[in-house]
Amino acid sequence: MTDSNFPDFDTMTPADFEKYLPDFFANGDGHVSTDPRLQTFLKNNPDCAALVRDLEAIADQARSLFEPTEPSDAVWTGIQDKLKLLGPEDDDLAIPQTV
Amino acid sequence: MDVQGLQMTQNIPAPGVFKRNPPIAGEAEAIEAAKNGDAEAFSKLYALHKRRVYTLCLRMLGNVSEAEDMTQEAFLHLFRKIGSFRGESAFSTWLHRLTVNLVLMHLRKKGLNLVSLEETINPSEDDAPKRDFGARDLQLTGSVDRVALERAVASLPPGYRMVFVLHDVEGFEHNEIATMLECSTGNSKSQLHKARLKLRELLRQPEQSTQPAGFNEVAV
Repeated sequence: MTDSNFPDFDTMTPADFEKYLPDFFANGDGHVSTDPRLQTFLKNNPDCAALVRDLEAIADQARSLFEPTEPSDAVWTGIQDKLKLLGPEDDDLAIPQTV
Repeated sequence: MDVQGLQMTQNIPAPGVFKRNPPIAGEAEAIEAAKNGDAEAFSKLYALHKRRVYTLCLRMLGNVSEAEDMTQEAFLHLFRKIGSFRGESAFSTWLHRLTVNLVLMHLRKKGLNLVSLEETINPSEDDAPKRDFGARDLQLTGSVDRVALERAVASLPPGYRMVFVLHDVEGFEHNEIATMLECSTGNSKSQLHKARLKLRELLRQPEQSTQPAGFNEVAV
């Protein structure tokens, strides 16, 4: 989406801002608070600026949710059991026994 | 196992996954050995990737039991299909996409019309994010507690959670999500925005209101 698809940044209302916010986030690096086109608007609309900061904080922190978690041993046991049921006629691969 | 509809494409990169997945020592050898039926090699691949696959399932499903079932299915599917891995993308990327596709298929079978967009575009009154900016909230602004966010994500409606996890956690682009969920790029953007708004709303509420039934199972 180009600037021509957006409302005038100088006369934009909070309602306009809310409408186009998903696109503001989707364009660029996802940090609306540093978008130079929006600086004046955000300065004049502190509630909108607070909303942006909150949503950016949520998106930034989401990346830390990727820390790997260990499945229980039952998962590997279940895999082994299912592979035994397959039998050699279903798959030619040997059945792994250990992790 | 029904694998209809699975698209094991290797030509759509997932940038976030590449960044998070440097080559693993011994993995290439294990893949080739597993293709030839080496049981120990398959065991090694499980050991190398079980956390990643399980964590992905847990984030997408928000439920320990289902996540373990889908982890099992993902590796069983891998066992059957590893011969089709051609090395055109990182193995971890290929396995990641395989897992995402399996989870999406699982959810469709359960009747969640993924981007069930009925549910997410027109969520129930209670589920929809409030459409007000609200007063500035210094408690949330600037920092978000990881545990609180995990709780909030787990309590999101499934459609919201799916798009949020795929974009903000897993690093998929909107066009990739649109392909996976068979929706438009605009829908993906809209769902992500609504998910973040809902999370903001949940994070501003007292702690107990973001705790879904059985959440303790999900907290990691």
